Amino acid sequence: MYQSNYRGWLGRLWHWVFLSLCSLIFLLLIGPLLVIIPLSFNADSYFTFSEGMLRLDPEAFSLKWYREILHTPNRPGSHGSEWASAAWTSLYIGICATLIATALGTVAAIGLSRPEMPYRRIIMAFLISPMIVPIIITAAGIFAYYSKYHLAYTDLGIILAHAVLGTPFVIIAVTATLTGFDTQYLRASYSLGARPIKTFARVVLPLTFPGIMTGALFAFVTSLDEIVVVIFLASEEQITLPRLIWSGIRQEITLTILAVATIMVTLSVLILISVELLRRRTERYLAPQSANRA
Amino acid sequence: MAKAAQPIMIDGVPLKERLAQAERRKKYIAFGMVLPLLIFVIVTFAIPIASMLFRSVDNPRMTELAPNLVQALNEWDGAELPSEEVFEVAFIDLTAAKEAGTLGRIATHLNYSLSGGRSLILKTKRKFKKIKSPPYREAMIKADKRWGDINTWGVLKKVSDRYTTRYFLNAVDRDFDNDGNIVEKPEEKQIYVTLFLRTLWISLLVTLLTLLIGYPIAYLISTQPPRIGNLLIIMVLLPFWTSLLVRTTSWIVLLQTQGVLNDIMVWLGIISEQGRLQMIFNLQGTLIAMTQILLPFMVLPMYSVMKTIPLYELRASQSLGANPFITFWRIFWPRSIPGIGAGGLLVFVLSVGYYITPALVGGSKGQMISNQIAFHMKSSLNWGLAAAMGSILLIAVLILYWLYDKVVGIDKMKLG
Amino acid sequence: MSTSISDAYVSFQEVQKSYDGENLVVKDLNLGVERGEFMTMLGPSGSGKTTCLMMLAGFETATSGEIMLDGTGINNVPPWKRDIGIVFQNYALFPHMTVRENLAYPLEVRKVPKNEITDRVEKALGMVQLSGFAGRRPGQLSGGQQQRVAVARALVFEPKLVLMDEPLGALDKQLREQMQYEIKHIHENLGVTVVYVTHDQSEALTMSNRVCVFDDGVVQQVAPPDVLYEQPQNAFVAQFIGENNTFLGTVRESQADRCVVELGTGEVLKALTVNVDGVGSQTTLSLRPERVTINPEAGSCDNQVQGDVKELIYLGDHIRARLELCGNDQFIVKVPNAANHSHLREGESVSVGWLSEDCRALDAPN
Repeated sequence: MYQSNYRGWLGRLWHWVFLSLCSLIFLLLIGPLLVIIPLSFNADSYFTFSEGMLRLDPEAFSLKWYREILHTPNRPGSHGSEWASAAWTSLYIGICATLIATALGTVAAIGLSRPEMPYRRIIMAFLISPMIVPIIITAAGIFAYYSKYHLAYTDLGIILAHAVLGTPFVIIAVTATLTGFDTQYLRASYSLGARPIKTFARVVLPLTFPGIMTGALFAFVTSLDEIVVVIFLASEEQITLPRLIWSGIRQEITLTILAVATIMVTLSVLILISVELLRRRTERYLAPQSANRA
Repeated sequence: MAKAAQPIMIDGVPLKERLAQAERRKKYIAFGMVLPLLIFVIVTFAIPIASMLFRSVDNPRMTELAPNLVQALNEWDGAELPSEEVFEVAFIDLTAAKEAGTLGRIATHLNYSLSGGRSLILKTKRKFKKIKSPPYREAMIKADKRWGDINTWGVLKKVSDRYTTRYFLNAVDRDFDNDGNIVEKPEEKQIYVTLFLRTLWISLLVTLLTLLIGYPIAYLISTQPPRIGNLLIIMVLLPFWTSLLVRTTSWIVLLQTQGVLNDIMVWLGIISEQGRLQMIFNLQGTLIAMTQILLPFMVLPMYSVMKTIPLYELRASQSLGANPFITFWRIFWPRSIPGIGAGGLLVFVLSVGYYITPALVGGSKGQMISNQIAFHMKSSLNWGLAAAMGSILLIAVLILYWLYDKVVGIDKMKLG
Repeated sequence: MSTSISDAYVSFQEVQKSYDGENLVVKDLNLGVERGEFMTMLGPSGSGKTTCLMMLAGFETATSGEIMLDGTGINNVPPWKRDIGIVFQNYALFPHMTVRENLAYPLEVRKVPKNEITDRVEKALGMVQLSGFAGRRPGQLSGGQQQRVAVARALVFEPKLVLMDEPLGALDKQLREQMQYEIKHIHENLGVTVVYVTHDQSEALTMSNRVCVFDDGVVQQVAPPDVLYEQPQNAFVAQFIGENNTFLGTVRESQADRCVVELGTGEVLKALTVNVDGVGSQTTLSLRPERVTINPEAGSCDNQVQGDVKELIYLGDHIRARLELCGNDQFIVKVPNAANHSHLREGESVSVGWLSEDCRALDAPN
């Protein structure tokens, strides 16, 4: 298992067995996502590769399910495509929830990172709990309680619920950057003549920005993917993207859903890349010397 | 550092006190920064959940619908049949309820605990018209002789309690009989204990499966040079970032009877066209999909522990004469156990409360406790029972969460 | 010191510091630094030297006493208004800014005009020989280059005073020595006042005009390097700076600036009276290894004893000999590796001698 230049036949055999095992596991991880991408270009409406597709016949591929996304009729009373309007609803709710979660979460994370913070452990545990509490309990509680204050069936209700589900990610991401933050930077900035406000704007904020962005992206993706709270809390008219996919899967799964899924996978890859870049940036900032060595 | 001869004073105030003051001020500032979020989470999250779970013991129906009767029953000692006054109050409250149109709800409520309770109330209702004057006691017993049974009043007193344990008993397949004893429900109605056990079983299986297939790849990634390691980590993270619904959809496409996997097996001749396998919409489907979906939560903590195990320790072990397998077993494996603990607890906590995947691919055999809670919230509208089941689930999750904090530490939680 | 402390460019007057209200980390500090001087604060870790630097920089407040800079009290001036450049131990270069941006930062916050910023940044980079590196980020520089940028950044805004907090601690030995000379030359060329903190005595001796030795929150001695080495005022300074042979004994006689000390083993030695309480008091005798002569000519030394050679270590230019004499088996002698010099063998017994003026009678350990 452990790599060594000197290997007997047993070692070599095991090495290859191990590598093939790992490849299989990676196939399990990624495979399902890879399968839906070519299928979404199917010219037929079956959930399987047609013979034409296997022969790579251009005729067997088409963009018709992508066109379908744009032309699925909307509910009566609204115009445009059903998918497009659901995407807008999701985007609107996601952005609002992310803004709330990021603002509150960042300030709280700064407070939590101060050495003087009292009861840090228990408060931190409490603030992270929305991530841990089973979503069905959260959704049920929020539905029953928000109904009393006329927040059920409103955008505001969903936004508040999604914001609270997103805050743990912001806290975790921002605290991670702040624990690596060296107070020497503050002192250096003061000694060079920058007042606290200027220091915050020019030193603290740029250095913690990757963490804040990572947290915000997580919060945004959480909201964009959230379905359980929406099922409980949303009215007939509030249709988000996950809700449309959900009802699609439960009623009749079509290749349009695969086309949407493919778009979402592409989006995930883009977000993943940006998070990875942000992570590298943090690493470079927080450990300038070790980055130099690597 | 020598002690000063006496407490250091500044402008007549001991320095110690001043320092403590400054320390307090800093504490308030730090706490003040956390406060907005704390309030936000309490108001939009904690209070809603607490008030929801409170429904598991709350029993306000009788107090709302027949307040005087509830009070009279509270004072009644239950030793013998209630006095004329209690009967009078009962008559007045039931009449009032009849006029307000809420008598049906009282009947339903009584029926939960007293078989025939509904018919008793509704039968009495029809005969109320004839009762003109006291004594009400005889009149009511005449209307239905069950009013003369002390047991009826006992149950009525029980259902009038402001708080009840009935929902919790129901959630573990038990109930009160007419004498107020706790008894098991009839066998065909015993479903929840099995469901709780199945939920734990599924979670345990998923945890073990993710460990079994997560460990090799965490090991592989941690022993690769950074360039390849990063690429592999991205492959682990990609499903992590992809919509849960999209991943579930892809499993349906892959595993359904007319799906890709079955097609391939038919094409390869492993199975016949008629013998297509049912791999989804059952327990197996839940297991497969949950394992894949939760795998990153297992791999990432294990990886972050494994990459801290220095290469020179393994080299030292080999130079001391241990072959690669012994080196792995005696050096690497013990050092990687904290990662297993962290990943295992996280996966277990997350799977106990899983809802979406079982709901979509679980069929009837792959349902978990969350799905039953959703059913009672949305369909049967038995919120008390949903709350009782939710409380049990939440307590289990909080114990695991506490354990996670003890073993791993919440501040060690990382995002990728 | 020619002028009194209160007239100095930088002065600490009766400064005390306590973090917890009970223990003093700095006790009654009085110290003056002249304009243009290179003053080093030297001491073991926890001796209070860094605390003094932090008080001067404004990151810690003095519990009592007054700190003055250029004639004005700065106790209540926030760090960003003090005009003091600091080179931090781990440089504290802003990792998200390029070298140029790091250097321009103090000028920008002072609202210096754009074209002047460009000029001054270029000049400062030229001074530390990093002109081609303006566009790099700190992470892309080696440790020595980061160090130079940190020095340039602390100087670029022409501060009244430059503080350096163990700035060379992270560098390897060779680079550290090179940087010592560079910093010394920059100081000489610019004439800027520098307060430098280190626990490395050779660094202190190499660079400073004067050294201030700290121990246990108290200044032990303030003096130029040569005086500090040759005329330590107490046992701590003698022990901390340079190599040192010590004997413990009791003063038996005292005459003018000489005294006679009887050791625990009965030998009697003559010494220079520096810091003793008088006849009958305990004293530590301190003697530099290079002041000891092997087999001295008769009458040339007023102290002469027999010793056994225990160990010889060959060090190229000299041989380090460990002897046992007067009950001290760690007595070190440095024998020059010269042609005409006698050769020692392990185990032989030799006569060693030294002048009473090189043997300083200092305070006894308490």
